[in-house]
Amino acid sequence: MHPTPAQQTDADLLHAIARQDEQALAALYDRYRLILFGLAMRILSSREDAEDVLQDVLLQVWRQAAKFDETRGKPFTWLVTLTRSRAIDRLRMIGSRQRTDDAAIRETQEMTSDAALDAVNSERRAIVRRALDELPDEQRRTLTLAYFGGLTQSEIAAQLATPLGTVKTRMRTGMMKLRDLLNAKREMLD
Amino acid sequence: MAHDEYKDLLLAQALTALDESDQQTLAEHLENCAECRSELNQWEQTASLLSLDAKPLEPSPELRGRILNSLSVSASNRASEGTNVVQLPVAKPSSSWAAWGAIAAAVMFVALAIGLAVLWQQNRATKDQLARLNEELQQTNRQLADERAVTTLLTDPNARRAALVGTSLAPAAQATLAYDRDGRAILLAKDLPPAPAGKAYQLWFIAGGTPLPGKVFRPTPQGGGTLLDQIPQNALNAIFAVTLEPESGVQKPTGEIYLKSGS
Repeated sequence: MHPTPAQQTDADLLHAIARQDEQALAALYDRYRLILFGLAMRILSSREDAEDVLQDVLLQVWRQAAKFDETRGKPFTWLVTLTRSRAIDRLRMIGSRQRTDDAAIRETQEMTSDAALDAVNSERRAIVRRALDELPDEQRRTLTLAYFGGLTQSEIAAQLATPLGTVKTRMRTGMMKLRDLLNAKREMLD
Repeated sequence: MAHDEYKDLLLAQALTALDESDQQTLAEHLENCAECRSELNQWEQTASLLSLDAKPLEPSPELRGRILNSLSVSASNRASEGTNVVQLPVAKPSSSWAAWGAIAAAVMFVALAIGLAVLWQQNRATKDQLARLNEELQQTNRQLADERAVTTLLTDPNARRAALVGTSLAPAAQATLAYDRDGRAILLAKDLPPAPAGKAYQLWFIAGGTPLPGKVFRPTPQGGGTLLDQIPQNALNAIFAVTLEPESGVQKPTGEIYLKSGS
């Protein structure tokens, strides 16, 4: 007997999607829609744009699942990377909007959502949140400006009126510390 | 650059935060360094966990259906179940070899039917995709033509320019209408009040006291507006005005004037 989509691993779902199994794509969407839509919203602050991004990502998964290489990374990393990359491309295309992470934070905090309880991922989120909280403010801000704001090191330096060398150091130190903190909880994050 | 110096670039690349020159330097190095490629993978896994810092949010309930409807190929696994394959009448085998032959033929027939079904599906998907790409191309061409027209008008030293100023309804609003001798015109407006739902701004060419209708546009959230239009030949010396009208536009002005050029 085949496992139901809910019991299948992410990799199982991608294999089924590679065989053009619509139910598997629907299951993958159900599993990750809250995280991926939340990520696109944090970057774009627009439901319309974020939904377009999510749709594009799922269509890309539908077309390219067969090319996904498990040895190079996890399906979750692939999905998140696709979503972030498309959202940031769109952000750069829109251009006129203020590309600061602060703006995105403010707007998403004002939104109400019934997605607050995403049981599967709430523990993983708490671990990441705690790890970020342990970083000094300026390191955390450098990482979030890059990750959610789509800014390069030079752009961060300009925005924070900080020397480029300082931004590079903060980014390096912040990422290394984050990796160590998250690696310590690796078994709960996998 | 020493090998260790590339290591510092890897974590910034995982955040796609490298400036262009660094990015190029690293890309060249990565082509020949499996160790750094592997390390970049690990940094990308770490970076992807940052996504969990974003608050999870529920997309609109319609999105799921929209995505599933847009899949151009209905699941070919349905075809592979082979439920529609016709059973071949098998003649009584005269020997076990004949029986095996019949089974092999049936298997080949099923495989052929599945192959044909998959090919048919792929062909249909390719056609759908081609139609979509064609439509995107046409849309891009239209945008490009519009952008060319804007650039031509704005850089044409012979183009004429009329300044439109805000009326008492929009004292901060202002606009410029640039147009050439053939009547090709572009309106660039700013600081307009937001248009209520179902309403849009419409451009008018008032020649000899008669308003001739132009196109409609909705302002951006910042109050800006850009409109490409064609001024009728008999209205090149007209007064230009912008009114608030129903979104589909009207033949005669019914709303208040928000912007107006001098006589």
